[in-house]
Amino acid sequence: MFAGLRFTSLRLRLVVVFALVALTAAVSASGIAYWLNREAVLTRTQDGALNDFRQEMQNRAATLPLRPTEEDLRRTAEQMASGSAGYSVLLLGERDKGKPIIGASNPDTFTLADVPESLRVAVDTERPVREGDTSPYHLFWQRTQRGKTPYLVGGTRIAGGGPTGYMFKSLEAERADLNSLAWSLGIATALALVGSALLAQAAATTVLRPVHRLGEAARRLGEGKLDTRLRVSGTDELADLSRTFNSAAESLQKKVADMSAREESSRRFVADMSHELRTPLTALTAVTEVLEDEQDSLDPMIAPAVALVVSETRRLNDLVENLMEVTRFDAGTARLVLDDVDVADQVTACIDARAWLDAVELDAERGIMARLDPRRLDVILANLIGNALKHGGSPVRVAIRTEDGELVIEVRDHGPGIPEEVLPHVFDRFYKASASRPRSEGSGLGLSIAMENALIHGGSITAANSPDGDGAVFVLRLPQDDEQGEVEES
Amino acid sequence: MPFLLLIEDDDAIRTALELSLSRQGHRVATAATGEDGLKLLKEQRPDLVVLDVMLPGIDGFEVCRRIRRTDQLPIILLTARSDDIDVVVGLESGADDYVVKPVQGRVLDARIRAVLRRGERESTDSATFGSLVIDRSAMTVTKNGEDLQLTPTELRLLLELSRRPGQALSRQQLLRLVWEHDYLGDSRLVDACVQRLRAKVEDVPSSPTLIRTVRGVGYRLDVPA
Repeated sequence: MFAGLRFTSLRLRLVVVFALVALTAAVSASGIAYWLNREAVLTRTQDGALNDFRQEMQNRAATLPLRPTEEDLRRTAEQMASGSAGYSVLLLGERDKGKPIIGASNPDTFTLADVPESLRVAVDTERPVREGDTSPYHLFWQRTQRGKTPYLVGGTRIAGGGPTGYMFKSLEAERADLNSLAWSLGIATALALVGSALLAQAAATTVLRPVHRLGEAARRLGEGKLDTRLRVSGTDELADLSRTFNSAAESLQKKVADMSAREESSRRFVADMSHELRTPLTALTAVTEVLEDEQDSLDPMIAPAVALVVSETRRLNDLVENLMEVTRFDAGTARLVLDDVDVADQVTACIDARAWLDAVELDAERGIMARLDPRRLDVILANLIGNALKHGGSPVRVAIRTEDGELVIEVRDHGPGIPEEVLPHVFDRFYKASASRPRSEGSGLGLSIAMENALIHGGSITAANSPDGDGAVFVLRLPQDDEQGEVEES
Repeated sequence: MPFLLLIEDDDAIRTALELSLSRQGHRVATAATGEDGLKLLKEQRPDLVVLDVMLPGIDGFEVCRRIRRTDQLPIILLTARSDDIDVVVGLESGADDYVVKPVQGRVLDARIRAVLRRGERESTDSATFGSLVIDRSAMTVTKNGEDLQLTPTELRLLLELSRRPGQALSRQQLLRLVWEHDYLGDSRLVDACVQRLRAKVEDVPSSPTLIRTVRGVGYRLDVPA
């Protein structure tokens, strides 16, 4: 299944779309959840710590004497830090004017250096007292980072020359909580992705299996197995499509059956007719010679009539013989009678038997042996050479050679060649090169029969015009050693 | 003057062929059915039978087989090329040659004369191939001293092969030598005749030791070692 996964395949597209939808949904849901959670957690912690700090500042720092000792500050800071909120405290006071002192609850973790400058400036700024804002100093806070640990730093100053206090709370625990939340959300997103991919696969399979079956059925139909039908199940669009396919296949099958029945009956008719014609022709043929022999002693008024009967009987004979040959090919009853022959001898004999020796130049070496049906080779050659003599005029050149186990016979004339528009049709039945050409020049079956005879050997004939513009070239190719060997005895 | 028996059911063809063959110098007896033909054959003893394949009643093949049971006289079949199977069956039932309808009288006459020539004596010597003795003066063949009943065609084929022992002859060569056919001879004539000849002269016809097939060439008569 995956072997056929192309980038444009429906399956891949389904998977990608499903995954994108799942990813968007999961990421936005997770993002919102994370953000809300983070705000809630941080705000709660921060508010708790700052409120506690403010409370402690008022309760303890404000009660310090105006000029506290460093010891006082340190003790108060320690007391303030000992609450449940878990922060460190730094108190800044003045022992004397211009003599700042510092008291830290936890000097190892929190010194003045850890307080950002901007926060200190904000805390130390005295604001004008107005209505609704009665304090000259406010509580300020900032989230900061020391090393990799996030911290909350807050600070305020007791009004009226009291000490300045800073609190320092680690947000490590919150961060850990938020990190584990992020991890969970990430895993959930990943699971959603995997789930969506699996769902997409399942969806693709349910859609694609019928599509695949449909494709397979269409291919079989195309190969000519017209009885191909699909099993229709369900009522969805694909079932509709299957039904449409079935009815199309059925009407196609019917049409083809009709056509082949009609073709078969017309073939049978031609075959029967030519058979029927043969009986009177046999009688006629047997006596034409009698007439022919007596022609000279006949009345000069009757002799031409007799000559006409004789020659037309011959033509009728040829026509019927060609028709029967064609019907044999059509009916598939034509058989090869194979023999091992010397091709040059066969070609020479063919030319000789028709008294064409003066008009044909033969370029062939004796000793080229081929296994073929000598009668059919003769039919092919007689048609090709006869055609060349008729349309191209002598001399016709016949060349025989072998090429990779193939027998190649080339028949070349020096006539006007074949018009380009006629070239594809030269082997068609009853095709005449020109409509004005009288029908009497031949049966119109010669080249088509030659082609059929080549095909039954597993060979072919090609027609072309000579590249130098001097006449037409027909090339016959036959397998030199036909393996069919139908009449071969062991 | 050769005496022919023509068996042909169609009146027009029979009359026309009788006319044509008579003009070629033959004496012709005719019959319209196979049964009549067989009866005539016994009464008049012709030199050769020209036999149509398609006959009402018993067909040409059956007539041919019945003649061959008792007689070795030459038989020429009148057949239609469209029915390739006709030729094969006809040759297997013992016909010596066949012509395709419609046939010209001259062609049929040439075939008849060729068949009749096969029985003519040409030399006076004899040859021995194992248990097979070919007496060219008496035109007889004996196997283990027993006379073999060969048709003139079978005899001529054996004579042509025995004249060139050990040398392979192609089917086309044999067709020229024995049947006197032109270059378009039907190789099945040779194959069928060889089969019939083997059935008569070989010890085991299915594994011949005298008349051997030479693949890609034709046939050869071997002198047994």
